[in-house]
Amino acid sequence: MRDKFTGLIVLVALLAAFAAFGQTPAKPDKKIEVQLLWGTDQPKSPNPAHRAVEADIQRRLKNSPYKWSHYFLVTNQTVFVPRGSATNVAISQKCSLEVKDLGKTMLELSFFGQGKKVEKRTQSLPRGEVFIYSGNAPGTNAWLLVLKRLD
Amino acid sequence: MEHDNELKLQAYLDGELPEAEAREVLKWLAHDQEAVLLQAELKNTRQALAGAERLIQLPESREFFWSKIERDISRVERTEPAQSKESFFAPWRRLLVPVSAAAVLGIVILSVLGPMSSSSMAENEVSSEDDTGFVYRDDTTGTTMVWLSYPAENEVANQEPATKL
Repeated sequence: MRDKFTGLIVLVALLAAFAAFGQTPAKPDKKIEVQLLWGTDQPKSPNPAHRAVEADIQRRLKNSPYKWSHYFLVTNQTVFVPRGSATNVAISQKCSLEVKDLGKTMLELSFFGQGKKVEKRTQSLPRGEVFIYSGNAPGTNAWLLVLKRLD
Repeated sequence: MEHDNELKLQAYLDGELPEAEAREVLKWLAHDQEAVLLQAELKNTRQALAGAERLIQLPESREFFWSKIERDISRVERTEPAQSKESFFAPWRRLLVPVSAAAVLGIVILSVLGPMSSSSMAENEVSSEDDTGFVYRDDTTGTTMVWLSYPAENEVANQEPATKL
């Protein structure tokens, strides 16, 4: 009886260890939507190719400290960030964003402008939340880089 | 009186001494008054016990009864060496039980604390290695905004259509 109980303890411990540290199915890549927006007070964008911003982003921007009354979608792309790895996202000819997965909801964001690293941060981005990089654009306009988790 | 002499006297009274030793005890009793007194006391004691002791009749003879006991002793002596031989896995078993229990406990603790300690900061906290931005957090909409002091002159205004990166 005692031997059977001992064997059972060992078996349970081995199974628990295997479940925790053994082979587990690989988690899928993080799916992040990256939108480049143009912020302006003009009702029309200078670039006719620009599109309307989705309602969710519009609502967030409306409640934000940003002063601009209109926003336009310049580019929209979906990136896949492998678990534990980094992906480089080209924003424009001179700007790029490196997104590195740090596990769970954490990301390491590195913003590069004109070949130089402008900013690097560790940011939590759970599903349903949005992260926005922004800066001045020519005139009284602004550029905004919106990151949104899709998975 | 020496204890050995007392035992010899008791054995004489019980009829357990060889003939030669019994004769020696008789000679001793002839000239030792103390031994005579002891002999009388032992006789009285034996008579008293004999009257009070219940006679238990065994269903078997004395020789058969003692042979059974002897056989049991021999059997126990034969089986003891086999039982005392320790299993090869016994030391490992003794080691694995506490180690396994500790491993299970550790796994349980890690699984409970993991979600709390896996990240070095709360989910809503951020850290910036380069203090070049102004951060605003809107908890109601779940929006984090960072204003960068990136050069005003940038190419966003002249960005190519959305089909191009």
